[in-house]
Amino acid sequence: MKYLLPILLLVGCSSVRPPVVVSAPWPDVPPSMMEACPDLLPVDTKTDKLSDVVDTVSKNYTQYYLCAGKIDDWNNWYNTQKKIYESTRK
Amino acid sequence: MFGFIIQHILSHLPVWFWPSVAGSGLLVYFLSGFLTRFPGLKIYKWLFKPLGLVIFVFGIFMFGGAGVTAIWQEQIKEAQSKVDAAVVASKSANTKLDQVRKQKNKVIVQRQVVIHERIVQDAAKMDATCKVDPVAIKDLNDAAINPESKK
Repeated sequence: MKYLLPILLLVGCSSVRPPVVVSAPWPDVPPSMMEACPDLLPVDTKTDKLSDVVDTVSKNYTQYYLCAGKIDDWNNWYNTQKKIYESTRK
Repeated sequence: MFGFIIQHILSHLPVWFWPSVAGSGLLVYFLSGFLTRFPGLKIYKWLFKPLGLVIFVFGIFMFGGAGVTAIWQEQIKEAQSKVDAAVVASKSANTKLDQVRKQKNKVIVQRQVVIHERIVQDAAKMDATCKVDPVAIKDLNDAAINPESKK
């Protein structure tokens, strides 16, 4: 019983212990993902050739796939970075 | 500022400091009878026991606080090492992501080159059987314009 006071005093300080806060910095983004998607290419208005139209349309398909890839990258980046960030909080 | 200075001093005290303060308090408490034998100290007889007790209690309290602070510092160190590891993992993930994207883009562009060559080859055949009306081109170009994009 006589040791109760010192023990209480020893643990007393732990009740005012501040929470441990170490924040992780905001993760970087690869520069290629920050580039905006270009506008679609227009067909030359002076042409009447179907091959020119098909060629422009196919180039636009390519642009679409390149841009869609960026969206996939953003999703991938978010999920990966979220997982990494959450690992710091365990 | 004053609080910061106090905190700074407290955090730089050696581990043995507060136990020795508590020990000194105990010594004063138990040796109070002996101390009062000194002629100059006799008049403080009433003070030794309470003072020794107060010093002992204060030393124990501060020892507890120092222990808790040490645990806290250790937790901060552990959290910081986790954050450092996360920064490295984040950069590594970005590099990998960038490499994979470059490879995928290369495949997409290569495919475009192949299709373009096929169109060039088939152009004569296409153009011989079909002539595109300017109205169709205008409609197609209008459809390609993003109405939300800045002009």
